[in-house]
Amino acid sequence: MPEHYIDQNVAVASRLLIVLSILFGVLFFASNSNELLKQGVLTTDAFAALQAEADCRADELEEEGISLRECELMLVQVEIALESSPDWFRSVQQILSASGIAAALLSIGLALNLSANSGSSSRFSLRILVWVLGGLVVLDSVMFIAALQTGPLLRAQYLWPLLLWFFIHLSLALGARTISKNINDKLSYPAGKF
Amino acid sequence: MIENTNSELASEPLALSKAIRFCHWLSVLAVFYLLISSWWMLSLPLPSENSTFRVLPFQLHKNVGITLFLLLLAMLGSFILRWIKENARTDPLQQLTAKIGHGSMYLVLLFCCLTGYLSSSFSGWGTELWWLLNLPQWAQESDDLNAFFSDLHLWSCWLLILLIAVHIGAALHHSFNSDGVTDSMLRSSNKD
Repeated sequence: MPEHYIDQNVAVASRLLIVLSILFGVLFFASNSNELLKQGVLTTDAFAALQAEADCRADELEEEGISLRECELMLVQVEIALESSPDWFRSVQQILSASGIAAALLSIGLALNLSANSGSSSRFSLRILVWVLGGLVVLDSVMFIAALQTGPLLRAQYLWPLLLWFFIHLSLALGARTISKNINDKLSYPAGKF
Repeated sequence: MIENTNSELASEPLALSKAIRFCHWLSVLAVFYLLISSWWMLSLPLPSENSTFRVLPFQLHKNVGITLFLLLLAMLGSFILRWIKENARTDPLQQLTAKIGHGSMYLVLLFCCLTGYLSSSFSGWGTELWWLLNLPQWAQESDDLNAFFSDLHLWSCWLLILLIAVHIGAALHHSFNSDGVTDSMLRSSNKD
């Protein structure tokens, strides 16, 4: 393949990597922010205060547009989250989701830097991005293993999205690594040296 | 490193300042957080004297929403300027659809934030901005007005999701085409 076509392919692949890293970084940030909030809100103390009885006032039901049974099941959902998770799960999830937020923000920042700069600065950003995306793959794996330790009701909620994230981050990490390698090879063996 | 493959076909994209790009990406994070967390928080047990599950998520939702509204107002000047000068697209039809798309998304975003705040104001629940400032309770509690603005908030959010999907679809389309249009949100202007 002629040299300029290879350059063009790397440029197009880099552009796709930037846009997809930003897009999935934003979605991963939102997903982990919500998880962090969830783990902060669903506590045994808050559940105990309700004495396992849903408070379903008729005016509230009408305002929310839900039935009495749905209102009762909202409390059951909280009970499922608390009953299905081991004691350590909440604190581990808080650490993992906080790490996920940090890694997502880092990947967005690096992708933006990659697009805004050229030369050694962007090559450095790309190398770091490969590591951050690789770190996200590891993080997804740890989250998956942690979710495996919960009960079946909670596993049903967590496992599928985590598997999806794992493959998204794996694809991005391998793509970033290939682009980085292509650019390094090109710099090591510039045209005419062969 | 990233060179436009077809950028010579398009005119120079309108580069934006770092501050505006920062505000844009900050508002993107805020919008997606608000959307995802709102779906979850509405599945929490209804509030009562003993049920406190919704307190933190709703306060956070209101705080992020109000901050987003202020951020959007701060970006309004730059947005209008860009809306007028939209010069990255050579195709007049594309220019027109971009203007309509950007304009409607801006309006729906502002409308969404505003109806959320109005709904909250008529709900009787107070708003403490980032747990620092108690916003004045300027409206009397009204179930009817709360329900009315809540419905507007909900439907404008569904419309917003549609517009976001179109916006992201267009951004991906331009990126895949490497026509330089998305560069205005990714690259620094020379003035930076």
